[in-house]
Amino acid sequence: MVETGVISIFLSFIISVYILIASLAGGKTGRRELIKSAENGAVAVFFLLTLACISLIHALLTRDFSLKYVALNSSRDLSTIYTITALWAGQAGSLLLWSWILSVYMALVVVLNRGRNRGLMPFVLGVLAAVSCFFTYLVGFVESPFEKLPFVPADGNGLNPILQNPYMAIHPVTLYIGYVGVTVPFAFALGALISGRLGDEWIRSSRTWTVFCWTFLSLGLLLGARWAYLELGWGGYWAWDPVENAAFMPWLVATAFLHSVMIQEKKGMLKKWNLALVILTFFLAIFGTFITRSGIISSVHSFAQSDIGPYFLAFIGVILLFSFGMFILRLDDLKSDDHFDSILSRESAFLFNNLIFLGAAFSVFLGTIFPILTEAIKGEKILVGPPYFNRVNVPMGLILILLMGVGPLISWRKASKQNLMRNFLYPTIFGLLTGIVLFILGIREIVALVSFGLCAFVSATVFTEFFRGVRVRSSRGENYLIALYRLISRNRRRYGGDIVHLGVVLIVIGITASSAFVTQKEATLKRGETLSIGKYTMRFDELRRYSTQAKDGTAATLTVFNREKEIGSMVPEKNVYKYEGNREINQETEVALRSTFKDDLYVILTGVDDTGAANFRVLINPMVSWIWAGGVVLLLGAIVTMWPARVERRAEAGARYSVGVSKDTVVKA
Amino acid sequence: MLRGRIKFIIAIAVIVVTLSYLVYGGVKEAKVYYLTVGELKERVPSVYTDKVRVSGTVVPGSIKKDLDGGLEFKITDGERTLDVHYKGIIPDIFKDEVEAVVEGVYTPENVFQANVLLAKCPTKYESLDGLEKGENI
Repeated sequence: MVETGVISIFLSFIISVYILIASLAGGKTGRRELIKSAENGAVAVFFLLTLACISLIHALLTRDFSLKYVALNSSRDLSTIYTITALWAGQAGSLLLWSWILSVYMALVVVLNRGRNRGLMPFVLGVLAAVSCFFTYLVGFVESPFEKLPFVPADGNGLNPILQNPYMAIHPVTLYIGYVGVTVPFAFALGALISGRLGDEWIRSSRTWTVFCWTFLSLGLLLGARWAYLELGWGGYWAWDPVENAAFMPWLVATAFLHSVMIQEKKGMLKKWNLALVILTFFLAIFGTFITRSGIISSVHSFAQSDIGPYFLAFIGVILLFSFGMFILRLDDLKSDDHFDSILSRESAFLFNNLIFLGAAFSVFLGTIFPILTEAIKGEKILVGPPYFNRVNVPMGLILILLMGVGPLISWRKASKQNLMRNFLYPTIFGLLTGIVLFILGIREIVALVSFGLCAFVSATVFTEFFRGVRVRSSRGENYLIALYRLISRNRRRYGGDIVHLGVVLIVIGITASSAFVTQKEATLKRGETLSIGKYTMRFDELRRYSTQAKDGTAATLTVFNREKEIGSMVPEKNVYKYEGNREINQETEVALRSTFKDDLYVILTGVDDTGAANFRVLINPMVSWIWAGGVVLLLGAIVTMWPARVERRAEAGARYSVGVSKDTVVKA
Repeated sequence: MLRGRIKFIIAIAVIVVTLSYLVYGGVKEAKVYYLTVGELKERVPSVYTDKVRVSGTVVPGSIKKDLDGGLEFKITDGERTLDVHYKGIIPDIFKDEVEAVVEGVYTPENVFQANVLLAKCPTKYESLDGLEKGENI
């Protein structure tokens, strides 16, 4: 199987080169058979890389320790599921996964565009193939997962215990689907630039694909946060670590694009801007892979480091030079069809949304590369920690929430007084009231008050919108539920977007509450002693030591009381993994978590001594579950948006929408 | 038309200025010097007032833990060593000879009071040192 893997990767590199040449040549000359064969090549690359992944999984499962990758990332005592996920636990495997996901996208783009975007497709495919060349080259010739060892070890190094977690099994794949996915909108953008077909085709396809990968990026970020929360055992879920930032930056710019693309679709404005955003998103995704994989910025997350850095730098240089070179060549074709009329309009709400998203992305970028910058300029490494990121991003985030309420309801061109009153009077009152009530209830943190008030405002605008739509329909005799269903299915993009916004509101509420109102306490307890925190009391009942095949565990059992009432027991653990070889990382702290929508009780067993006393750190993190719940709502909204509508329905929705817009214009006139 | 454009320019300028102000203030407030043990010692006494992050290898046998989570240990850059006091969560992978990163202040008593302790997964993790040789091919 190993040879199969090596050959597959080698062939997929060769074929990628062929696709690059054939499809560009086919696009220029218009020779159908060339384009056709390039498209078939894309499908072949997909099959070959699938085969390569299967070969590596086979090697992992059969414990073929003659392979360096297998020896370093698995061991005989590793369970089957984590043996499979070891495919992306190390450097070479991650790169193989990158290439494979790219090949899936490439094949999908080919299959889905057999009857569409014909003039554009050869160039799009050419760009995808160029990226595929880079990654298959890396996997094939620089960091091969099939590299052999000079000897066969008796057992492997094993998988880092903190990677043995269900979230770690799905988080990287989810994130990668998003990360790699931004290559597709980039390919459409660059394809449009190369071919000069800068009309609606590329923007429509880019938007659809960006919605898709944006959803996965969001989920990947949330799953990563949840993994950190459950597994890293420090009580938080986000630390502005370079690796987290690396995934956050493309998300920010992709979000900006998803909004500004509407301006281009509806008004033919911001064409240059949108192209720049798509290129920037792709650049940030590659840059993110580069900083996490090259070890240029030290991070606690970067498990795998190697010398692929220079390759990435060169690749990034080529991308930027080529994309912006093409961009400048085509500047004349990118003139705006319209202009901004009034600062009180949907266009300008979106413009400000974009500026702030981009500003946030820039500040995160600056903070992330700050040590490199200062070392280059002043010769000393200076880092900026979480206070920097919070200080910059919290105010930006608050303005964005405000715009999230304003944008969807304010009218195009120029908002009239009636439009503003009709749509925003009640939500504004509701938001202010929420702030006042919370203030009376004793909340004094300004940021939290503003944030909750804004969240109330946004929720109110979304509910107003749904309420109005349903009321109109039900007045025609439809049952409320059916009215809601039809309302959403008639304009999925709009209402799906609203649902996504609600998800974001839930996430923001969770983040605000859990970062502003944490209580924590630490204590050393002997058996039978208790610790009180907030309304909870916990009694340390017993310390149990046990052994399984994989680890020696120490588990402390605590009985938890909510005021006087017993609500159950919690069992934080501290485990030492057994190793047959001499593995480096063998300790693992397993936190105990009791989660409700009100708060999370988070218990860490920090230490145990010989007398049987144990040291605990306990945190009450309010409303963290809202973040995960918000993620589910966000996913639902995204699915509504992406759900394929039948063609005639889509046309109908478009017509209704434009009627709605023109009605507003009439009112104004 | 012109008035409208001026409004936009003002609004954009406000955003840019606010952002720069936030970035500038944030950097000032949150900057942390990243030094090696040797560099830290060379910067005495000006270093006492700075927030510093130091990395070094944990000196074998120097770790003293008390049950309350208090921790004392030494890190070294190969030449000089630094005494570190820390209280808080100890990372799972923290032990002798790992690369530890501590953040805090260096006090005139020549003790580093850390409020952050990170342990980097040893780069050895991706190296072959840990593998026991089986039969040679």
